[in-house]
Amino acid sequence: MSTTSLNVVLKGRRSQPHQLIEVLQDIQDLYGYIPADAMKTVAQELGVPLIEVYRVACFYKAFSLKPRGEHVITVCTGTACHVRGSTLLLDQIQGQLRIQPGHTTDDGLFTLECVNCVGACALGPIIAHNGMYEHHMTPGKLRKIIGDVYVTKKEESHHG
Amino acid sequence: MLQYVTLTIDGSRVRAAKGTSVLDAAIEYGICIPHLCHVPSLSDIGACRLCIVEHVRNGSSNVTTSCTLRVQEGMVIRTNTEKIVKLRRNIAELLVAEAPNSRAVQDIAVRCGVKEVRYPFRNNNCIQCGRCVRYCNQYWRANVLGFIGRGKDRHVDYPLGTRPDFCKNCGACTLYCPMSVTPCEGPMKRGEEHLCGKCESQLSMSASLPGACVRCDLGKGFQCARHA
Ligand code: FES
Ligand code: FES
Repeated sequence: MSTTSLNVVLKGRRSQPHQLIEVLQDIQDLYGYIPADAMKTVAQELGVPLIEVYRVACFYKAFSLKPRGEHVITVCTGTACHVRGSTLLLDQIQGQLRIQPGHTTDDGLFTLECVNCVGACALGPIIAHNGMYEHHMTPGKLRKIIGDVYVTKKEESHHG
Repeated sequence: MLQYVTLTIDGSRVRAAKGTSVLDAAIEYGICIPHLCHVPSLSDIGACRLCIVEHVRNGSSNVTTSCTLRVQEGMVIRTNTEKIVKLRRNIAELLVAEAPNSRAVQDIAVRCGVKEVRYPFRNNNCIQCGRCVRYCNQYWRANVLGFIGRGKDRHVDYPLGTRPDFCKNCGACTLYCPMSVTPCEGPMKRGEEHLCGKCESQLSMSASLPGACVRCDLGKGFQCARHA
């Protein structure tokens, strides 16, 4: 982890405990997750107890403490999506990628996550692929999305 | 100079310094409000909900925790109404179901009149009263413990999940934990949890003096303020 980029994030925010969430958000964007060392630095630089930094980082779904895959698939398991069959979607992903919600595939390509309602119930079941919402999802469409990622990956490695 | 206010708790007039909580005022006057997460000298967070009372205002009443309720001039508080007793018993029942392996919790349940536990035992060994967390952070300012996660995943943990070297090893977290003393007959195994209820004899006094502190031993396990 480079300290310079962390320095950029912290610039002008040192000793300002109320900046905690913003700083964590930037770190999340920077690394795709929040490394333990970064949390220690943040605690020191902002003057917030480490337990507080950890608590906040664990509280919000937007923060991840583990490295995340290149493609984050978020399945909505809210009530509306549930009755419209989001469990089938989950089964599909779990079967295809062999990972549980909250985990990342060994090749670092996919991360599976669940949320409770993204606020688009009428369009359910919803999944978010790297933050982009895909509506009226079916196991079939999902299988294709995941398959396409693997195909592109293969082509890239062929040409690259 | 300290300013005082007068309020009514269970019909008796009580004088208390401004800024104290209703619970502290009641304890000082020997009125028993069962409580668990309250530790004198630490801030109150209203975690256990046992200290609920009825606050009567303009003819209607609402139920709140007395440890987080500040005294006010002319306040009317009822600590022992039928409604409160019933609610409190229910809360105590939930606490026993959550952590049957604590003598303190078993005792307080008896004090709150629990006769049977109607909830499945979860045996989680923690009722999240936050006594350890507050003692660590407010008294020692060590900031070694905190509540991590949310909802059903909320639990007490160290920063980053391991004991940091700035923990002074004072042991206060264990000392203040209501789980540190197991029931007299030893820890209950999973599937064998039950309400202990053997100390019911201690209630004979409190039954004839409802609402008054009779210095029963049922509060010892969590340093009930009357034992301090
Ligand atoms: S339940 Fe899925 S968007 Fe509301
Ligand atoms: S003592 Fe008031 S809620 Fe626990």
